[in-house]
Amino acid sequence: MTRMEKFEMLEGAKSMGAGAATIASAGAAVGIGNVFSSLIHSVARNPSLAKQLFGYAILGFALTEAIALFALMMVFLILFVF
Amino acid sequence: MSEIFSVFVLGFCFCFYVSVNTWHAYRIIQINERLQKPMTFKITWKDGLVITPWERPIGPTHGPSDPSSPSGSPVKDALDLAQDVPHSPLDQFAIKSFLDMRVGYLYISFTNPAFFMLLTLGLVFLLFHLVTKKGGGKSVPNAWQSLVELIYDFVPNLVNEQIGGLSGNVKQKFFPCISVTFTFSLFCNLQGMIPYSFTVTSHFLITLGLSFSIFIGITLVGFQRNGLHFLSFSLPAGVPLPLAPFLVLLELIPHSFRALSSGIRLFANMMAGHSSVKILSGSAWTMLCMNDLFYFIGDLGPLCLVLALTGLELGVAISQAHVSTISICIYLNDATNLHQTFFFVIFL
Repeated sequence: MTRMEKFEMLEGAKSMGAGAATIASAGAAVGIGNVFSSLIHSVARNPSLAKQLFGYAILGFALTEAIALFALMMVFLILFVF
Repeated sequence: MSEIFSVFVLGFCFCFYVSVNTWHAYRIIQINERLQKPMTFKITWKDGLVITPWERPIGPTHGPSDPSSPSGSPVKDALDLAQDVPHSPLDQFAIKSFLDMRVGYLYISFTNPAFFMLLTLGLVFLLFHLVTKKGGGKSVPNAWQSLVELIYDFVPNLVNEQIGGLSGNVKQKFFPCISVTFTFSLFCNLQGMIPYSFTVTSHFLITLGLSFSIFIGITLVGFQRNGLHFLSFSLPAGVPLPLAPFLVLLELIPHSFRALSSGIRLFANMMAGHSSVKILSGSAWTMLCMNDLFYFIGDLGPLCLVLALTGLELGVAISQAHVSTISICIYLNDATNLHQTFFFVIFL
């Protein structure tokens, strides 16, 4: 196996790893949907607190999005560093 | 006093920026001169591999040899000299040192992040000074004063709200540290949104350093305030005794993970956002440069996506500074009021 063939196999394996690692954002998607669904429910119950609840919802969104970005960071790590 | 400092810092940054760009221009002239020689179409790498230029693999596998000792092939020399030509979307995060300084084993060189941190400092000081000179602003604020008041007022509200159960004097002791952390991360994040700028917080060394230091500080504050009783933090009330050792060990893991998670959250958001924008805009630019009408019209898609992603990036920059500050306040609350929650907000 020449060096070029080995290199191409490595690049292919990296792409496969990156594609597999992207599946983790499915969990984050469910979580973010959960947060905003709770926001809608709670605002429907108590519309006078809408502003404060929206603040909490944005906080929850940012924290959940961080997990999706942990997964994205692993993708970039696999794709461009190894 | 602070106007002198901010002008000095900004002037320093400007001089460095000009000198670095002059150095880059000199390098480009070097490369052009090297490319004037007739090019052979084979590249010989150090370990004897001989390939043609269009087989050259893209990415960090292009290992440059020492550029000051030219080899026989001008293309390889040109590629060696052009080490700062971006090959991958992660090259925007490269740390270049402007001034190499060494003290034994310690490298204290003046690097890219150091320059941009100084720039952030100068800009923040300049903004706050320009708004509050001549006696602290007007009673009817203009837009800049409203912005500065917004940034400043954000932290005392947070401190008062999150850290319950202490008197006002004690709580306000934490205010300067948290305010500086918030302002620093906010302005560093926002500064990365300027095109061709460098995001300081997109390096995990910087954000982990910040979050580790603050975590160690919070632990010290917990011990100082509660004595050894601080260790009872790991054991919630009403737990049967045989379960206690496992619970303590289990509680230590999320407790120490907090230090890591604050730093990694900020780093991952900034890095992933900037990498995504770089990848998408690279593809949008490529589509724009292909001589094809369909690609030109279809380029609207990636361009709109880049616009939307940049808007999202701005929101993420502000919201991640907010989230990291809130999480610091929550950890402080946990350390000083060991599990006695006065509010219904319970986070990990």
